[in-house]
Amino acid sequence: MPQYEEFRVIYEVTSAILCFTLVWFMTKPYRFTRKEQYVGLPLAFGLLGASYFFSAITYAQPSFLSDDLLWVQLIARTFSFIFLAATYYFSKKTSKNSQLSWNIAFSLIAVAIISSVIAIIFMPQFNFDNYRIASSYVRIFIIISLTYVIISTVRSHLAKPDSISLLTPLGYSLLAISQYSLIIWATDASMVAWWGALALRLSGLAIFLSVAYLTFYKSPKKET
Amino acid sequence: MKTLRRDRITILGELLLVLNDESKNDRIVLTRVQMKINVSYDRLKKYIGDLKDLGLIDDETSLRLTEKGKQYLKEYENVLTFIKHMGLA
Repeated sequence: MPQYEEFRVIYEVTSAILCFTLVWFMTKPYRFTRKEQYVGLPLAFGLLGASYFFSAITYAQPSFLSDDLLWVQLIARTFSFIFLAATYYFSKKTSKNSQLSWNIAFSLIAVAIISSVIAIIFMPQFNFDNYRIASSYVRIFIIISLTYVIISTVRSHLAKPDSISLLTPLGYSLLAISQYSLIIWATDASMVAWWGALALRLSGLAIFLSVAYLTFYKSPKKET
Repeated sequence: MKTLRRDRITILGELLLVLNDESKNDRIVLTRVQMKINVSYDRLKKYIGDLKDLGLIDDETSLRLTEKGKQYLKEYENVLTFIKHMGLA
């Protein structure tokens, strides 16, 4: 395997491991409160991890289902950010109607994921040329979704300022800037933008991991 | 059924928080606990029975948290903090 592909496999697997580790922490809000809106958080990071894992396979085995896997990872990534934005949208709504709306939204997203995967398998339009165009649109969509999430988390931070809660919008911002860097790279082939995007993604994920670590393992001891 | 389950878990968590808070006093007054978590007396007695069955409190008279109860409460508080840190609260 050439050196660059080897590096990308390690990089994508590292990203996937970070995401799957985060999933374990992200399931806790649902497990302890049973609020269905919180299910979106582990699903978002799970799908993101899966998309990085599929990327790793395409770099490790370029001939193995290459076009299909590229599309599957793109869809996993897209829906991970849809889940993320939906989670933040519905988590602050407490009425019974919002519960029903979340259930409907969740079902629609699930149906959309299944339909997309079926379309990839059976429709010849999902080839490499179209993938490059679609991935640019997906990056823009991800930036828009993340902008909503960043605004939402900044508002939460301002409502109850806390040094750790400030890290969350920072983590999402790094992920958004990483996507922006990839758009720059796609337009002018800037290698600074490319390497910057890779570094920003890992930094963003590491920030979420540090938020979880600081909350669960470094919280001040309380008298119980 | 799902809504009932969610409510029960949330109330049990809140009840543990209140019992832990009240345990700093000489004795835990049930009516004060009832006012703080805002449930009927009958439901409160049922939830206390649930906590006892789960091994989270010593007995239904003293209402003191067991070691398991204290550990659960700590994790519950951490999760509430995590929800806040993630900007979901």
